[in-house]
Amino acid sequence: MSDPRSLWHPVATSIDLPQHHIFHGQLLGREVAVWRADDDFVNVWENRCLHRGVRLSIGTNDGNELTCRYHGWRYANRSAGCTYIPAHPADAPARTICNRTFPAVERYGLVWSGEDPVGEPPLVPMLDDGTPFTLRSLPVNASAEIVLAQLRDHRFQPVGALDGDHAAMAVTELGDFALALTATGANYHSTAVFFVQPVDSDRSVIRAVLTDTPADSEQIAVLRHHATRLGQLVALAETAATDQPAPEPMVATIDQVSLALSVMPERETNRSAPLRVQVARKWETAHDIMAFELVSTGNPLPTFQPGAHIDVHLPNGLVRQYSITNGPGDTACYRIGVKLEAESTGGSQALHDTVNEGDVLAISEPRNNFPLRRDALRTVFIAGGIGVTPMLAMTQALQPMGLAFELHYFAQAEEHLAFDEIRSTLGDYVTVHLGLSPGETSAELTRVLQGYDHANQAYICGPGPMLEAARTIAAEAGWPDQAVHFEYFKNTTEIDDSSSFEIALARSAVTLQVPSGTTILEVLRDHGVAMPSSCEQGACGTCVVPVIEGDIDHQDVHLKQTERDAGDQIMTCVSRATSDRLVLDI
Amino acid sequence: MTPTVATTCADPVILDQWHPLLPLDEMTADNVGHTILLGEQLSYQLDTDGAPVVWLAADADATALPVLVEYLYVWVCLGSPPEALFAIPEFAEPDRRNIHAGTIGVHVSAPRAIENFLDMGHFPYVHTDVLGAEPHTEVAEYDVHIDPDTNDVWATECVFYQPRAATTSTEGQMSDYLYRVPHPYCVILYKTTPLAAERMDVIALFCRPIAEDRIEAHMFLCLLDPDNSETVIRKFQQTIFGQDKPILENQYPKLLPLDPRAETPIRADKVAIAYRRWLSDLGVTYGVIPAA
Amino acid sequence: MIKLYDYELSANCYKQRLILSLLDVPYESVPVDFFPGLEHKSDEFKKINPLGHIPVIDDDGYVLWDAHAILVYLAAKYDPSGQWYPTGDPQLLGEAASWLLFAEGTTNTASAARLYVNLGYDFDIDVCRAGAHRLFRVLDEHLWFREREGLDWVCSGSHPTIADIAIFPDVVLSEEGGVSRLDYPALRRWTDRVKALPGFTIMPGVFPVGTS
Repeated sequence: MSDPRSLWHPVATSIDLPQHHIFHGQLLGREVAVWRADDDFVNVWENRCLHRGVRLSIGTNDGNELTCRYHGWRYANRSAGCTYIPAHPADAPARTICNRTFPAVERYGLVWSGEDPVGEPPLVPMLDDGTPFTLRSLPVNASAEIVLAQLRDHRFQPVGALDGDHAAMAVTELGDFALALTATGANYHSTAVFFVQPVDSDRSVIRAVLTDTPADSEQIAVLRHHATRLGQLVALAETAATDQPAPEPMVATIDQVSLALSVMPERETNRSAPLRVQVARKWETAHDIMAFELVSTGNPLPTFQPGAHIDVHLPNGLVRQYSITNGPGDTACYRIGVKLEAESTGGSQALHDTVNEGDVLAISEPRNNFPLRRDALRTVFIAGGIGVTPMLAMTQALQPMGLAFELHYFAQAEEHLAFDEIRSTLGDYVTVHLGLSPGETSAELTRVLQGYDHANQAYICGPGPMLEAARTIAAEAGWPDQAVHFEYFKNTTEIDDSSSFEIALARSAVTLQVPSGTTILEVLRDHGVAMPSSCEQGACGTCVVPVIEGDIDHQDVHLKQTERDAGDQIMTCVSRATSDRLVLDI
Repeated sequence: MTPTVATTCADPVILDQWHPLLPLDEMTADNVGHTILLGEQLSYQLDTDGAPVVWLAADADATALPVLVEYLYVWVCLGSPPEALFAIPEFAEPDRRNIHAGTIGVHVSAPRAIENFLDMGHFPYVHTDVLGAEPHTEVAEYDVHIDPDTNDVWATECVFYQPRAATTSTEGQMSDYLYRVPHPYCVILYKTTPLAAERMDVIALFCRPIAEDRIEAHMFLCLLDPDNSETVIRKFQQTIFGQDKPILENQYPKLLPLDPRAETPIRADKVAIAYRRWLSDLGVTYGVIPAA
Repeated sequence: MIKLYDYELSANCYKQRLILSLLDVPYESVPVDFFPGLEHKSDEFKKINPLGHIPVIDDDGYVLWDAHAILVYLAAKYDPSGQWYPTGDPQLLGEAASWLLFAEGTTNTASAARLYVNLGYDFDIDVCRAGAHRLFRVLDEHLWFREREGLDWVCSGSHPTIADIAIFPDVVLSEEGGVSRLDYPALRRWTDRVKALPGFTIMPGVFPVGTS
């Protein structure tokens, strides 16, 4: 007999998964939470939030994400990656926080899964050749072995002769946990395939499928006939089980969390592009803006949070950052928007002109330096042009949670408005401002940002001058620095890299020289320090390092003023020291 | 998912603790009562002087076990007891009301129940509109230390948004909390009260371990509230714990894992991490899955 | 106003809070120190209900006890549509009466197991749990066939009845008594449907159904 853990088993029936329900199942001693997302994807997850071990089956399914009942952690459809930790609303959760998932396939009206199943779920020719009709499943307090033995003696009547009692029975063995029975009598015959789901060493579920669907008018009678007959079988199996000594329960091992997850999240190590994606669709979503739908060529795509971006490594060697526009649970692809820049140095030009549907691109894992808090009483989004892309993901995350928000979308003209299909779902929450001069834009921003109140948050993404105007206006309107969040397209500051200074790495007791013309990031990497980075121009915030001592020459646009003033972190790709020495906490 | 559970306790650290058996006023001289502690069947009765006597039910000689009456409860030890129980000085303050708010059985280990009591992050989700409410979900940074004299675990500077903190207020406010773990299976919360600026209400959970994965939790209060009836106060406390119970009973494994790689902590779990380490350092093995 | 002599953690009192909330009838909850105070056994309380148990209602001087009897009274009096207690339809009324008796069974098994675990009541726990599973198995099959016929509730009408309300608390709180619902998927779906009713209210141990 094969190891049951290497086999596919049914864990539920398809009708057990109505919209927004979470089914509670068990297979081989392991509990699973099974839920269907609005995109019809069926998730089979270990029934345990890896934060504090609470069953996910008592949580909620909003059609896109599953939320744990205990602390509100949200997990994405498909990937089971954590997208939000409410206790720390300003943080982006480490995207590697991922619940254990199991494969799932729907076939014959049943949901199939397994611990570590090999190949595909079983194909049963007599079901493939027929019109399968799923019967009601029955739980049994007996081992699969006992149930299978009872099934070999099981009797039922064929459709058409349900009232009789003497159908001839024929058994067809179908592997370790399945068999088919054919009942023949009064010129009628029916075949039922029985799959026995091993729940635990002393518990099973009988899942049965008729090869042919009865006429509508007969269905209830057929279902009742089998429910009655199987009910009698269950009684026999349970009696047989009580005559035997109770078997040892199956123990499902719980995987350890990774070392990184057992402590605070670890830092990433470089500007890598480990993912390969294929352009499934490319379309012009607005004037000069191309949209790309990227699907995985291998493993499922990692979880992203609203506000996250990916680095796209282009065929010409350039690396560019683009925000993911997808809403929660929409995890089968990443959708990005690329504006053709007038003074393109080859990045947007290459994506517009040379990257086509079917092409494969290398991208980084999603990274979130623009995290969305979900504890605000009011959230104001201000987007300039292509800066709308992260806002689309953010607004789609807030809307189903019922949190108040407004999106102000500034653009030159109607034809410059991108992603109509997403905006149309946001309805009145979106206000479009077209063709405003810089002065008119400032006036509009002043109006939009008036009336700051407790627990208000603002997110602003757009061209540099608009962001600077918004920064000043928000401050004047009384918005505290920490309530206003910016994402820059790029850092237009003229970088002055003429200084030279020394950096001390506190944790490794190493001192290094940073000569003029070289960045801290480069020096660190040259000396074997693994460093994450993304835009490498002081905009995205990926290469941040904590500073213990020394005066920082901030040249990035990522840090807020209060963060700059605190003087305890530095963007190593552009910023430098005004003192002779910086002590870094690495 | 049936865990293997010991029926009796072989953990000397736990055997040598005082354990809260039941409220003194539930013992009588007329009848012998029966209960379970650490898998052992115990019998109890008041003697003719009104003092509690507790003995192993299986002990034909009915040799009296060490007992202590403290904070409304009868405490008993199955090993060599420490001289005294941890101190709650507020108990003796004349304007305090000391209330036993009830005992509720929970199918979980004592350390899981203690850790839940130390947790603020679940307030908006489990005690919705009472101790917390979405979207006010942030757990601000707080401090954790071990008292060098008493070896108690403390979490200080804890604040959390509480909707309608008092029956009279319509708006929420930030409430201050202090948490203290003076005993592997007992935890005390100090909470600001609108009634006295400089003083705090004391709310404690004393767990009686019936088995490794089963407790009865005694809720003890030492309050400054002069107005509300005992019935109302008990109702509030039982409601809160009644909301925690189904969460605790849906945690797996039921024993608290002490291996750091068993679960995923966040900064809000600082005191939980400290409590797990502290249990490890004490050498507790009962009710936990020791680190490998 | 209706007075409900009430204990927050009681499944039988919850049945009354639930029907009153579903019918949007205002009432005053009078908390009884059921535990640990045993107030319902006091001489004072026995003047209200000589049997010494809760819930009891006092509707403007009319006093009634027994959980399922109160459901009958409240629905008959306060549901003008006549759907919760379908007196106008003899067949449905018969079904409702039958399932109310079934609810006596779930109270005496599933809810008894909960009292054993929560409050230390002296019951034969194995008998209680086995009895609860026997009833849940019957109910799960019944509800599975109801779904199959396009019906959502224990009785055969299109609207829920007090039979749903009488059974729901015993079922939804069963895991507190150590009676798992893992084997009863149709029963779990039905509890979701009850939770989605307008005016539904929770109690400690009952999670709301939520979409966020």
